[in-house]
Amino acid sequence: MIRFFTNVWNNFKEYIVLVILILASLIILSQNKSPQVQKVRAIAFGSFATFTSIISDMFSVTDLKRENQQLRERNAELMIQISKLRKYGIINEELKDLLGFKDTANVPLIPATIISRSLSMTQNMLTLNAGRKHGVLPGMPVVNDRGFIGIVHSVSEDFSIARTLNNVDLKLTVMDERSRINGIMKWTGEELVIINIPNTFDIKIGDRIVTSGISSIVPLPLPVGIVEEFRPSETSGFSYIKVKPFVDLKPIENVFIIAEVQSKQKKDLELNFYRRQSDEIR
Amino acid sequence: MKFDKIFPFLIFFVGLLVQVTIIPLVSINGIVPDLILIMLVYYSITRGQLYGTVLGAYYGLSVDLITGSLLGSAMLSKTLAGFIAGYFSTETKRDINISTFNFSMIVFLCSMIDTLIFSFFSAFDFNTNFVTVLFEHALLPSLYTGVVSILFIFSPFRRKRLL
Repeated sequence: MIRFFTNVWNNFKEYIVLVILILASLIILSQNKSPQVQKVRAIAFGSFATFTSIISDMFSVTDLKRENQQLRERNAELMIQISKLRKYGIINEELKDLLGFKDTANVPLIPATIISRSLSMTQNMLTLNAGRKHGVLPGMPVVNDRGFIGIVHSVSEDFSIARTLNNVDLKLTVMDERSRINGIMKWTGEELVIINIPNTFDIKIGDRIVTSGISSIVPLPLPVGIVEEFRPSETSGFSYIKVKPFVDLKPIENVFIIAEVQSKQKKDLELNFYRRQSDEIR
Repeated sequence: MKFDKIFPFLIFFVGLLVQVTIIPLVSINGIVPDLILIMLVYYSITRGQLYGTVLGAYYGLSVDLITGSLLGSAMLSKTLAGFIAGYFSTETKRDINISTFNFSMIVFLCSMIDTLIFSFFSAFDFNTNFVTVLFEHALLPSLYTGVVSILFIFSPFRRKRLL
């Protein structure tokens, strides 16, 4: 018996190891959401990011970096304010006052530098040198002076990983600023598109696209891009809407993390509402 | 001898450091060469198929953990790439395969397999055009990786390891 197994091993060891490793990969693939896996991942990229940041720092000039950071911080604040002013211009200011809308003018910003980028065209990720210690939490939006960049995905003590707009796993609720139409935007691997918008909806080339207020990920109206191509489909009844993002991800080095995640109060309220609805149905 | 066995496992971190910090500077339209794959192919040819398969799994898993990609996707793709590269590890052709342009061809082939499998987990959905994925996500990065691997044929590092 032992001789049989020894013979099998000697003749097919490469294939046996290959099958075992493929099975291991598939098991790991199915465990992606597990908290233990997330923890191991946070430790791994946190440790590696320490070395990456050293190399990354060698490529930047210290004094200019600080000055640049301050200017970019100011720029990002102004960008958010302008974005809000645009929104206020469209919706009647008086009605907003009557309804008791709160002005959330000052959003806290956490400055961060990109210390490395992912290898993939489809799963674009950025490693940032700001982590839990700086107040970063998963789900926080990442922006720069031009607009929305992505969402913080994983956080370690000193570093964080953000999914960018060029990541197939990031699906974002966005809004046409002019017509107030909401839609889901995603990265196809080649371009940013808004999906499932019927042909009859009012979307025009050149319309500004911002993150939607109904988004469960980004609570603020942040500029995302403009409609570059709009092609109604006669067969499906849905339009093809291509968005050109405001932010070019290649040259950016410094970003800001908006230290605000979706309001827990709002989330709880929505959750209670849905629970009540399902109780009534029963 | 023992250090020689674990050296490829250690040098990986230097390679990945270069891959995520310096290699993006030479990207062409978002396409970057895969230095890790070049290292994997080299070690698979010089050390055999079994070693290449295990090394591929280790490189892939580490890439997944460190870069934040879908955990297990690069592990699967690089395991298979290491296994395929190991087929070119025959005693008689080993030296020819790493010291001539054969090496670039093998890198190109393994890169195609690696990127295709990796894209399967990241780029495919119901609306994806297979030809586009094949061309933009597999062929172009593989070509770039294959071209960059030519530099490796003439590198002093490779010559030293051959001795």
